[in-house]
Amino acid sequence: MASFFEGIKSDFITCFLTKNRWHFITDGLVSTLMITFFACIMGIVIGVVIAIVRSTYDKNHKEMRKGVGKNLLAVINAVAKLYLTVIRGTPVLVQLMIMYYIIFASSNNGILVAIMAFGINSGAYVAEIFRSGIMSVDQGQFEAGRSLGFSYIKTMQYIVIPQAFKSVLPALANEFIVLLKETSVAGYVAIQDLTKGGDIIRSATYNTYIPLLTVAAIYLVMVIFFTHLVSRLERRLRSSER
Amino acid sequence: MNDNVIIKTEKLCKCFGTDIHALHDVSAEIKKGEVVVIIGPSGSGKSTFLRSLNLLETATSGKVYFEGVDITDPKVNINIHRQKMGMVFQNFNLFPHLNVIKNITFAPIKLGKMSKKEAEEEGMRLLKMVGLSDRRDAYPSQLSGGQKQRIAIVRALCMKPDVMLFDEPTSALDPEMVGEVLDVMKELADDGMTMVVVTHEMGFAREVANRILFMDSGRIIEEGTPDEIFNHPKNERTKSFLSKIL
Repeated sequence: MASFFEGIKSDFITCFLTKNRWHFITDGLVSTLMITFFACIMGIVIGVVIAIVRSTYDKNHKEMRKGVGKNLLAVINAVAKLYLTVIRGTPVLVQLMIMYYIIFASSNNGILVAIMAFGINSGAYVAEIFRSGIMSVDQGQFEAGRSLGFSYIKTMQYIVIPQAFKSVLPALANEFIVLLKETSVAGYVAIQDLTKGGDIIRSATYNTYIPLLTVAAIYLVMVIFFTHLVSRLERRLRSSER
Repeated sequence: MNDNVIIKTEKLCKCFGTDIHALHDVSAEIKKGEVVVIIGPSGSGKSTFLRSLNLLETATSGKVYFEGVDITDPKVNINIHRQKMGMVFQNFNLFPHLNVIKNITFAPIKLGKMSKKEAEEEGMRLLKMVGLSDRRDAYPSQLSGGQKQRIAIVRALCMKPDVMLFDEPTSALDPEMVGEVLDVMKELADDGMTMVVVTHEMGFAREVANRILFMDSGRIIEEGTPDEIFNHPKNERTKSFLSKIL
């Protein structure tokens, strides 16, 4: 038994302490968090915009007066639909590789490319989440906002989106968690994220268990932590509905 | 156009397809300080008519003039005119994510009509008027239906509108709460507010209205003072409607 622990101890030292290999884990973790964080923000921005376009089209297009506005909305809506179809219809890894090797082939900032790829990917899913949220807000809320003199956009911004956000928060949190784990494929295009960091240690030390299980544990802890944060936020937001 | 006329509609039509008319050539005038009550059976177009006055409903043809401006003209910025037309809905439509005082002051502050301080002073004054100043920090879900509707009236009033539109304001209320909302509306009428009210409360119509419009199948069938409509109705449809509900 003692020799078992001795073995683990020496493996641990080779994996993390020798040649300061723990840097692969910490640097990788920083990259993973950066990619996830900025991709998440980008995804929400894209998602909200697309969701507003799509729901505006669905709700109002039939009623709108003929003219430039109506045609413009139809075109933007078609572009949004195309974006959703393409992004949701292809694997994120393929999208990442297209970004890295084709669109940003001249860039050597892998993190930035990954943020773009995951952000654009996440935006498509967030858009559908938000659209369902906007559609779930009572039509009377729109009318109340408009009747007070708010423009369509201001009504969205002040009255509908805050309520929609609250109702989609669980789904949004889930998307964030998926995104956090999805970034683990970033290693494919020479980005040293957390997963890649663990893998580098594995190939350098020929020790499989310790680096990979450590990486898994770190993801798990992060997900548990974020889940906890979101449930606290949800409780706070719900306080207005006692 | 007469200076006293605040809202005027000209041949307002709303049709779906070719033969379903929610509104059929409705022309009417609302004068300053007048309380006009619209009555009629369900599906007669009274709510559609009321909602087309502030363009929540867009008419298929016809015109709506508000304070002399044709607001059905696409070039007109409707948002500016809506600020002067308060609206109260059947289902209150308070903002559930904001507390009472924020519900009331939100629009005047965000639309730049008042500073936060002014809006809150005005909001509190109005809350006192409807007897709800102790609920300023409550959320809509904590209020009864009657309280919600009184807050909704205050929310519309805080924009200092020139006219108030009421779309069946008591229809979603428990019977015992109808009175408290009607009392507030009576007080408003006494203060000289121009009001257009769609309601089934015939007592209110008789007591408060200056003029009553009776609508059926998308048309104004008959109009007149409460005495004329309730005691001496001329049209058969008006008579049969009143005989069923009185």
